[in-house]
Amino acid sequence: MKYVLIFSVALGAILLFLLAAASGNTALFSRHYALLLGLNAALATALLALIGYQLWVLTAKLRTRVFGSRLTLRFLLMFLPMVIVPGGLVYVVSLQFMAKSIESWFDVRVDNALEGGLNLGRTALDLLLTELNDKARHMALELSDKSPTQQVVLLNRLREQAGVDDALLLSSSGNVIASASKSVGKLLPDLPSAAIQRQARQSRAYSALEGAPDKRLSLRVLVPVAALSIAEDERLLQLLQPVPPTLARDAEAVQEVYRDYKELSLSRQGLKEIYILTLTLTLLLTLFSATALAFLLSARLSEPLALLAAGTQAVARGDYSRRAQVTSSDELGILTQSFNSMTEQLDDARSVAESHRAELETAKAYLENILANLSAGVLVFDEQLRLGTVNNGAGAILQEAFDGLKGRALADWPRLQPLARAIVEGFKQHGADTWQQQLELAERMLLMRGSVLPRASGGGYVVVFDDVTTLIQAQRATAWGEVARRLAHEIKNPLTPIQLSAERLQAKLANKLVPEDAATLNRATETIINQVAAMKGMVDDFGEYARTPAPNLVPLDLNALIREVLVLYEHAGALLRPELQPGLPRVMGDPTQLRQVLHNLLQNAQDALAGSAGPRIEVETERAGNQACLRISDNGCGFPEAIMMRVFEPYVTTKPKGTGLGLAIVKKIIDEHNGAVRVENLPGRGASVSILLPLQRESAKAA
Amino acid sequence: MTLRLLVSLLLALVLGWTAPSRANTIEISHISLEGNDEGYALDADFEIELNPRLEDAINKGVALYFQVEFELTRKRWYWFDDSVSRQRMLRLSYHALTRQYRISSGALYQSFSTLSDALRVLSRVRSWQVLERAELTTGTEYQAGLRMRLDVTQLPKPFQVNALTSREWNLASDWRRWPFGIKAPVTEKAPQ
Repeated sequence: MKYVLIFSVALGAILLFLLAAASGNTALFSRHYALLLGLNAALATALLALIGYQLWVLTAKLRTRVFGSRLTLRFLLMFLPMVIVPGGLVYVVSLQFMAKSIESWFDVRVDNALEGGLNLGRTALDLLLTELNDKARHMALELSDKSPTQQVVLLNRLREQAGVDDALLLSSSGNVIASASKSVGKLLPDLPSAAIQRQARQSRAYSALEGAPDKRLSLRVLVPVAALSIAEDERLLQLLQPVPPTLARDAEAVQEVYRDYKELSLSRQGLKEIYILTLTLTLLLTLFSATALAFLLSARLSEPLALLAAGTQAVARGDYSRRAQVTSSDELGILTQSFNSMTEQLDDARSVAESHRAELETAKAYLENILANLSAGVLVFDEQLRLGTVNNGAGAILQEAFDGLKGRALADWPRLQPLARAIVEGFKQHGADTWQQQLELAERMLLMRGSVLPRASGGGYVVVFDDVTTLIQAQRATAWGEVARRLAHEIKNPLTPIQLSAERLQAKLANKLVPEDAATLNRATETIINQVAAMKGMVDDFGEYARTPAPNLVPLDLNALIREVLVLYEHAGALLRPELQPGLPRVMGDPTQLRQVLHNLLQNAQDALAGSAGPRIEVETERAGNQACLRISDNGCGFPEAIMMRVFEPYVTTKPKGTGLGLAIVKKIIDEHNGAVRVENLPGRGASVSILLPLQRESAKAA
Repeated sequence: MTLRLLVSLLLALVLGWTAPSRANTIEISHISLEGNDEGYALDADFEIELNPRLEDAINKGVALYFQVEFELTRKRWYWFDDSVSRQRMLRLSYHALTRQYRISSGALYQSFSTLSDALRVLSRVRSWQVLERAELTTGTEYQAGLRMRLDVTQLPKPFQVNALTSREWNLASDWRRWPFGIKAPVTEKAPQ
């Protein structure tokens, strides 16, 4: 754009100079005047097109609200009057001045004077011609009565008398009869043309002023010479006389000026048009160049601002990498530089903040991870006791998704009211102190600990709780084990002396007593011995529970073990339906203890089936992941709901006879096998006990 | 007025100033191209009709230049046409002192007392040796063309501007073109 403009301006200047030169009076360019005009007009049109293009670009920028375009427009509007007003003024004044000065060249008096001068010259020449004519007629008269030979002699004398330069006598056929000339060297006389001769004969005279471009003006007069007789042919006398040099020169000069003047007055309009055209083209080229230049300058002035704006917008978008280029050393350059350094500082500050934030996020994620993987439940409340944060552990313990509970005050909880009440009570009672409380919730024992969060970190409350059901169960089992051991030890010791004493009493006294008393004694001692034996059996059971040795885990075929045990129960009355999965991998277990488990479970099932119609026991095995599942189901009376949760605790039994240790032992053995045992009542009738035992590990099996 | 001038100037530019607008006040009434010993000579008659503006200009002393242009072209399918052209410039002027009209061509001149006499002579072209024998080849079809026009570029500058914008100053005939070929007898005569 810039170079186009520079080129156009340079070209315009050259063309204008040529045009101005051609408009002047130099002959150099006048031939190409029209071409020059055309070139200038074409250049003006091209510049106009350039301006149109620039205007279009600017309008497009304004419409799309490119930053800086309005500033460009303002600069342009400031520049344009500075161009147009002086240019227009000079143009108008020049036009006026030119029109006036051209008109002032022409004057009626000058016109008249020139006309008069020309007429004066003509009159003088006419006078000379008339005079020469008179001389010719006189000579012709003199010659007319002379014989042809005399005429030849007489001609030169007459010529000298009349003071004429050349005299010539021609025959009717045009041949030269006699010639007389003032200049001796002139051999060939100047012959009149046939047309002139003809005219001279017809009109009896010919007189004319002759002038050639390169010769002096001369006067030519032809008169016929009267013949003496009819027989003689009519001759013609020609006189040639050059116009006196001074007169000729002056007359020519007057004519030249007259012609120039006339030409000038005739071309007055054309001249005006030339000047107007030249002036107008000059104005147009100047205006257009200046306007295009104004566009360029405006754009250039507003360019750094647009760059700065682009940089600002980039910063606003968060892109700190853009740096506006410093192109000048003026205030704009300084501004750009400060902007750059500001952007740099912003960038640094932002990256520091970013790294801080990343660190914080990592720490937070770490904490959240810990919280999520915590088995304990955590509930965080705000100061109005509205639930804020819940971890996965809480959900798992309470088996609650907490949908619709978050953000709600504890008092408004639709579910978990016992928990909510306990928490509210806890915080109400203990104020800012940390409290701890056990809460039995739907057969679960929760240990809750509540604390108030420091006010500096936003305040609120936090409740941490744990499911201690298993812990308590284990504690109970341990306690029972201890009791059983103590019982076995403490009770078993006196039993033998009691038995021995009873036997001794019988042996010693039986013979000494009357038969009636002896019978009584026998019955009493029998009773004592039997009851002691029963008590011994009971104590042995306790001892067995308390003293179950650590299992000796070996790989074993569970199905084979089951079949072996089932044989013993085949004739017990109930229908046995084993459904053993073939190809079950070996499990890790102690065969003796597992046999005990099977006996206990089958015995329980049989007891439950006592008195029911169509007794049936199902024994199933199947693989469940990396565990083997053994399920023993019956269609008996099932477990009462009341003892479901404590069914594995010792002395919990529904049987009229029994220690209540069967399932407790099962539980203990299976726990020591790292397995799991579950009891459930079947939907229809009966109950089922499922046992999960770990399978032999693949690597161990390979070994 | 300036605007009108500019517009007409631009119009003239667009239409092309080398071929001025068709102000046909010169007509070609007769043409003959005769062979002679040296080659071919052209005889032609024009009918020139000067408009009052031009007549006034002549009487005010402005010299008018008439150019007679002859052109002989040979069509070439493979390249630009081969052409031979001849020009003859005739100057018509008025001598106020002697009240004579003058036609000059180079150093030759002729004077006339009336404009119509001068124009009659101007419009007659006789024995203009336009072609040399060597320039022609036998049996080729040529296209000959002739026109006469007022040479505006010879006018004083102000009139040139007038001529650019006004049709009154454009005086020209159309190109008259006719086919032309050399007959064999003429070439036979050439060696004598």
